[in-house]
Amino acid sequence: MSKPKVATDWMAGCAGCHMSLLDIDERLLQVLELIDLRASPITDLKEADESGVVVGVLEGGINNTANEHQARLMRSRCKILVALGDCAVFGGVPAMRNFFTIEESLRRAYIETESTVDGFIPTDPELAVPTRVRAVSEVVPVDIYVPGCPPSADVIFHVLSELAQGRIPEIKDDNLHWH
Amino acid sequence: MYQLKIDDKEIQVPEGTTVLKAAGMAGIDIPTLCDHPALEPYGGCRLCLVEIEGARTLQPACTLPVSDKMVIRTQTDKVKDARKFILSMIFSERNHFCPYCQVSGSDCELQNAAYGEGMTHWPIQPNWKPYPVDASHPYFVLDHNRCILCRRCVRACAELVGNFTLGMEERGANTLLVADLGVPLGSSSCISCGVCVQICPTGALIDRWSAYRGQEKDVSSTKTICLGCSIGCGIEVLHRDNNLIKINGDWDAEINGGVLCDVGRFFPMDEKRNRLVTPMLRKDGSLKAATWDEALSVVMENFKPFINKKENGIAAIASTRLPADVLYYYKQVFEEILGSNMVTSTEEGRYTAVLSEFAEDKGPFESKLSEIHKADTIMTIGLDLTKDHQVAGFFIKRLIPKGTKVIPVSYESSGMDAFTPHSMIIERNEELAFIQALDAAITGADCSEFAEKSGISSQEIIEIANLLDHSQNLVIVYGTDFDAKQKRETVQSLLKLAKKLNAKLISPKGKANSLVAEQLKLNKPFNVNGHKAAYVALGDEDPSQAVIKKLENIPFLVVQASYQSALTAKADVVLPVTTWLEQSGYYVTCDGQVQLANKSLQSPVEVKTNKEVVLAIADRLKIIVNPVWDKAVKLENSVVEID
Repeated sequence: MSKPKVATDWMAGCAGCHMSLLDIDERLLQVLELIDLRASPITDLKEADESGVVVGVLEGGINNTANEHQARLMRSRCKILVALGDCAVFGGVPAMRNFFTIEESLRRAYIETESTVDGFIPTDPELAVPTRVRAVSEVVPVDIYVPGCPPSADVIFHVLSELAQGRIPEIKDDNLHWH
Repeated sequence: MYQLKIDDKEIQVPEGTTVLKAAGMAGIDIPTLCDHPALEPYGGCRLCLVEIEGARTLQPACTLPVSDKMVIRTQTDKVKDARKFILSMIFSERNHFCPYCQVSGSDCELQNAAYGEGMTHWPIQPNWKPYPVDASHPYFVLDHNRCILCRRCVRACAELVGNFTLGMEERGANTLLVADLGVPLGSSSCISCGVCVQICPTGALIDRWSAYRGQEKDVSSTKTICLGCSIGCGIEVLHRDNNLIKINGDWDAEINGGVLCDVGRFFPMDEKRNRLVTPMLRKDGSLKAATWDEALSVVMENFKPFINKKENGIAAIASTRLPADVLYYYKQVFEEILGSNMVTSTEEGRYTAVLSEFAEDKGPFESKLSEIHKADTIMTIGLDLTKDHQVAGFFIKRLIPKGTKVIPVSYESSGMDAFTPHSMIIERNEELAFIQALDAAITGADCSEFAEKSGISSQEIIEIANLLDHSQNLVIVYGTDFDAKQKRETVQSLLKLAKKLNAKLISPKGKANSLVAEQLKLNKPFNVNGHKAAYVALGDEDPSQAVIKKLENIPFLVVQASYQSALTAKADVVLPVTTWLEQSGYYVTCDGQVQLANKSLQSPVEVKTNKEVVLAIADRLKIIVNPVWDKAVKLENSVVEID
C-alpha cells in the first residue's frame, strides 16, 4: 500500500498550528514513514498536487479573496479536508475584527497605529480584497475539525497517525481543547 | 416515595423531587447551565432536556417534578442531539470565542458543557453584533458579549440577596442584562456583594482583581470563615504562590450558603495599607528595625516598674478581630500577671456590655441567626443591616417577596427602606419612646404620648403593633445604637416587648469575636489616666481616632499590628503580626457558634502570629498561660447559648 499523500497550507492564522506540527519532534520521523508530505508552507512545494492528495490540512480562517482561492484549491484537490486550529474551526483570534467594519480595521491598521507615520491603505489591484473573517467550513465543506489554539503536538500526531492508518480520528477528552 | 427508572437505574425519590435532582441521587449527570443548586429551578437554557417515556417532546429535567413510575432517559441520541443543538445556538448567539476569554480553560461552564458533549466545533457562526461592555463598577466588569442570558445573576440578586438590581430588557437577540432601568452598574443600586460574579457560568461577569491571574484549577483553595463581622460567613480563599487571588462564598457553609457582602468578598482585595515586616524600636526619635529578642527585652524592661501598679500601671487594648484563644491569653497576661486595671478590647463593650447585664440574671435570651429564615415578621432597631452585618440584611431582604413583613426602625433612612412599605423613620434617640408606644398599643393602652415623642403617628404605631401582634414567627434584630443616656432602659423595654410578643431576639453585635471579648469581660471603656505604659494588640485592625487620641501622651507605647498606622508611627516598640489570612484560630459568631478560621497564606519571615507574640510575653514573664479559652468564655451567662 502506498503512503497517503498529505498537503497543508496556512491562511489567516499565526503559523502557530504548523509550529505545533513541528513540535511533534522525533515522532515526525514516524509520521513521515506513514505519510507522503507533498506540499506545505514550510517545505519547497507550496500547492497540493494537481493530481490530488488524500488529506488536505488548512490552518487559519479565511479573511480575503486569496484565502478563499487557497481553500477552494485545497478542497478540490483533497479527499479529506482537516480544519486545523481554532482559526480554521471558528475564525479564531483574527475573527475579533468582525466586530468592526473592514474600513475601521484597515484604518486602524494602516493609519491610526501609534507607530505609523504618513500611513495609507494599500489599494494595489494585485492585492487580495479583505473580507469578513470566516471559518473554513463557511467557504468549503470540512471533514475533520481539530480545535485548539494551537492544537497540541500530541493531538496533531494523533490525527495524522489515525488518518495515515486509514481511520477517521476521534477528538475527545484530553485531546479536545479550543483555547 | 415515587419509584422511577433513570437510564435503566431503579431509584426511589420523595414526591416533589425534580428529575434533575432525582438523577443526581441516582449518580447520573445531566448537564445544566441556568440551573444552580442555590437558586430556584428556572428552565431557561434547556440544556438539561431528557426523554420521558410517554411524553411527546423532550422535557427540561431541572423544572419537571417526577411522577410515579416515570421512565427517564438521559443518554439517547435524541437527547444528545438536542444538547449539541442547544449549545451550538448559545455559542452562535454572541462572542463565545474561547481563545480570548478570561474563564476559558476550566472555569467556564459553557465550555465545559460543550467539552462534555465532545463538540469539536459549532456549525453556525454568530452575526458579529458587538454588545456593550460595562466597566463602570469598581470591583467587576460586565461583558454582554459573553452573556448567555441564563439569568443566574438576576435570580441570585433577587433570591439570595433580595436586592433586585439586575434584570433583563428587550427581547430575542436584543435581550440585555441591565442594572435598575438600564444605568451603568457603577451608578446603579448595586451593593457590590458580588454574588452575581460568583454565580455567572461564563466570562460575562468577571472580577477585576482575580481576572487573568489563574484558573480555579491552577490556584489553591482554603475553606475558612470571613472575619469581616460577627456573622461568621463561610468563605473559600483562592490563592496562588502565596498571593491572594479571590474570595468566594462557600456554597456549603451553613451560615451564609455562599452569599457574601462587599466587606467579605472585595475589601480584603483592595488592601492598600503598608505591611509591617520586622519588629521596630524607637531610637533617637525614630523607629529602627530590631530583632524580636531586642524588641521583647525593651518591652519587658519598660513594663517591669509598672507591674501591679493599677491606674499607674499598664493599659492594654486588643482587637475583637483576634482569635478567641489569643484574647484569653492576652487577658491572663495583662490582667492577672501584669496586674493592669485597664484591660479591654477595641469595641469597649459598645455593642455587648449592656446586653450582658440582662444575661447575668436572665440567662441566654437571644436566638440563633437562622431563626430569620423562618420569620414571617421581622423588626430591626438600633442598627442598619445595609451598612454592617450586611449578610443578615440579605437574609431579611430576600424574604420580603415571599411575604415576610419587614419593619426597619431608624432615625435615618437606610438601604432597607426601598424594599418594604413598613419602614419607620423615628426621631433621633427616641427608640425608647417608639418601643413604649408599641408596648402601649399592644396592651390596648393609649400610645399617643409616646408615639408623638417618637415622631410616628398613633395610627401607624397601632398598625405596626397589630402587625407584630398577629405574626406567627416574629424576629427582632436589634443593635445598641440607642441614646447613650437611656441605653439600658431601651434594651430593657425591648426585652419586655419581645417577651410580650413571644418574639425571637437576635443581635449581630460587633466584629468577629465581639461575643468572646464580652464574655472575657474585655468590655470596659478605654480610659488612660495616669497609666505609664500601654500595649495595643491591634492585629490587622485599623486603630480608631479615639484610641489614638487617648494614647497621645502615654510615656511608653507598644503596638502589636500587621499594618502601619498613625498609632504605629507613635509607638516605642512595634511588633509585627500576621493578618487574618495568615493565622488560624477560633471565633464565636454573634449567635454563639464556635468556628475555626484556617490559615490560607504564609506570613513574611520576621512576622509572628498574634498568639506567638502574646505567648512570648508570657514566656518572658516566666508564666504558663491557661489554654482552655472556651471554658473561660462560658464562665458567665451569655446573651446567647454558646455551643
